[in-house]
Amino acid sequence: MRDKARFLFPFTVVAVGVALVVALVGFMEGVFMGMIDMTANLDSGHLRLVNKAFYDEEHLRPLDRSLANQQETHDWLVKHSSMQVDWAPRIRWGAILDVPDEKGETRSQTPVMGMAMDLKSPNSREIERLRLKSSLVEGDLPKGFNEMLMGVQLAEVLGISVGQSVTLMGQSFDGGMVADNYQVSGLVRFGVSAMDKKMVLIDLVDAQNTFYMEDMVTDWLGYFPPSTDLDDYEELKESMRTGLADWIPHPKDWAKDDAPIILSIRDQQNIGAIMDKFRVIKGFVVGIFTFLMVLVLWNAGILSGIHRYGEMGLRLAFGEPHWRLILTLAIEGLWIGFLGSVAGSLVGGSFAWYLQEVGLNMGDSFAQSGLMINDVVRARVTTDGFVQGIVPGIFASVAGTLVASMAIFQRSEANLFRELEAG
Amino acid sequence: MSETLITLERVCKLYQVGEENFTALNDVSLEVGNGAFMSFVGPSGSGKTTLLNLIGGLDRPTTGSVLFKGRRLENMSREELAAYRRENIGFIFQTYNLLPVYSVYENVLFPLILNGQKESQVRKRVEEMVAKVGLADQMNKKPAQLSGGQCQRVAIARALVKDPMLILADEPTANLDSENSRQILELMQELNHEYKAAVIFSTHDERVTRYIRREVRLEDGSISWDKRRNGTEIET
Repeated sequence: MRDKARFLFPFTVVAVGVALVVALVGFMEGVFMGMIDMTANLDSGHLRLVNKAFYDEEHLRPLDRSLANQQETHDWLVKHSSMQVDWAPRIRWGAILDVPDEKGETRSQTPVMGMAMDLKSPNSREIERLRLKSSLVEGDLPKGFNEMLMGVQLAEVLGISVGQSVTLMGQSFDGGMVADNYQVSGLVRFGVSAMDKKMVLIDLVDAQNTFYMEDMVTDWLGYFPPSTDLDDYEELKESMRTGLADWIPHPKDWAKDDAPIILSIRDQQNIGAIMDKFRVIKGFVVGIFTFLMVLVLWNAGILSGIHRYGEMGLRLAFGEPHWRLILTLAIEGLWIGFLGSVAGSLVGGSFAWYLQEVGLNMGDSFAQSGLMINDVVRARVTTDGFVQGIVPGIFASVAGTLVASMAIFQRSEANLFRELEAG
Repeated sequence: MSETLITLERVCKLYQVGEENFTALNDVSLEVGNGAFMSFVGPSGSGKTTLLNLIGGLDRPTTGSVLFKGRRLENMSREELAAYRRENIGFIFQTYNLLPVYSVYENVLFPLILNGQKESQVRKRVEEMVAKVGLADQMNKKPAQLSGGQCQRVAIARALVKDPMLILADEPTANLDSENSRQILELMQELNHEYKAAVIFSTHDERVTRYIRREVRLEDGSISWDKRRNGTEIET
């Protein structure tokens, strides 16, 4: 450390490299997990309890495959999962939406996909979860009986404004035809093109009345707090699966062929494969940075080796064994790697933390995209991010030094006098 | 007669230069006693440095043997040779080879640290040795702040601090002016007398020959004569 010429450069390389990796991993993790959380919030949950028959034909929205015994199911889920998990009941439904004119005749019609959730209970976290207040373009959230929120593009296509009545026509739980009137209380921009064009949200109780689904829901979605490790989802899923096998025969109102299953977000919509690919990409990014760091540090090691050529020769001439000289260099590399990594982690971690707390508003860029992602992109500071920065930082420093010090092994003592005199 | 420290038995050293062999040393036999104060003199390419290399365990002879107190160096492994140098040999170079980032004190301490000794145990010895070469008031200075003569004094203290049996000094006065050369040689003579370490110079410098007790002249890799101050001269 005293020799600033040989300390500062490798220290700076490690610090900058680690800072970039920590910040980049934090940012990538944040953006990716933001997408995962958005998907979970809108659609899949981190965990999901659903009837297998419903899940297999989900695109048809077969309401007759719903789960009964709402309270009993909720109690079981709370008891058999973690206290951290918030369970939210939902109904996924599909219907024809009919828009009447002034005379009550059909002006326009379109099929819509709908989601029913608890929008009116004071302790419901669904409004916050879907950021409905901030997504409202016009109107209000549903407060009264049979009110709905509609995707802003759907409203445009149908020529609907806030306050107007529409009719839902669909199939009830027991297979009969249903028609019910709703008033559009607000228009919402979900930020996801498909949802803005086709999505309608109604309150859970209203949906249960409309589709004759008293005490029934199609899904229970479980939500972990942010920054929960993805592996925790799988762990809890597995433990709940075991409990589920014992519990299935008990709910008395369930149909004989009901087979509720627990899914994690990984199991749905090919998200598991996307997550795996993300991990590979992240590994590549970290790997490339590590490789570049090794390359630069190797050169730094060579420069330092040239700078210290006399010292190395002297140490060999004075009788220091080659292996001990290399060990000393490796320990130096370790220290430089450690100190550089600490400094880099502080800088990179602070930047990532800032992006986590304040975020980066990319609303303008995302406005026209179909990505399920928040306008404000946030990084995510995780222990993994630091590990992925610090370990390669230390490794690069030691490896760079060792690669450069290979020349010491080849240095012949017989030439030392000549070399030292020349030096 | 003093006990023999170094023995060279019919030492030859050949180097491959391209496809040809170059004879650096040819059938050199020599004995160096404990406490010797001698020099190898001769023109460039006469084999002086090669001889220092062999005695210092930095190189091995092509044929013949180098013995240190009866132990054959050619039978030693690389690690054993390193230990031999660490424990028994002190080096002094023409260009001093002090470590620029270390102070005078730290440069002198350096070989003791390489020997695995702790600073707290040897601090007094290092300070004494620095004082002995007349640099007690320069203890914390860096080599860049010293004159050439002062640097060579530090190098002498560094060579002597581990109490070696033999000091190999390659052209120690070549970079110094007359006055500094004289002071250095007087200092080395005094320390040789006090510490009893044998000193072998390799030099062109005629001034050195005034101080040494034995002069071995090399020409084309062979000893041409071996002259002692007491008048004994062996011509070969």
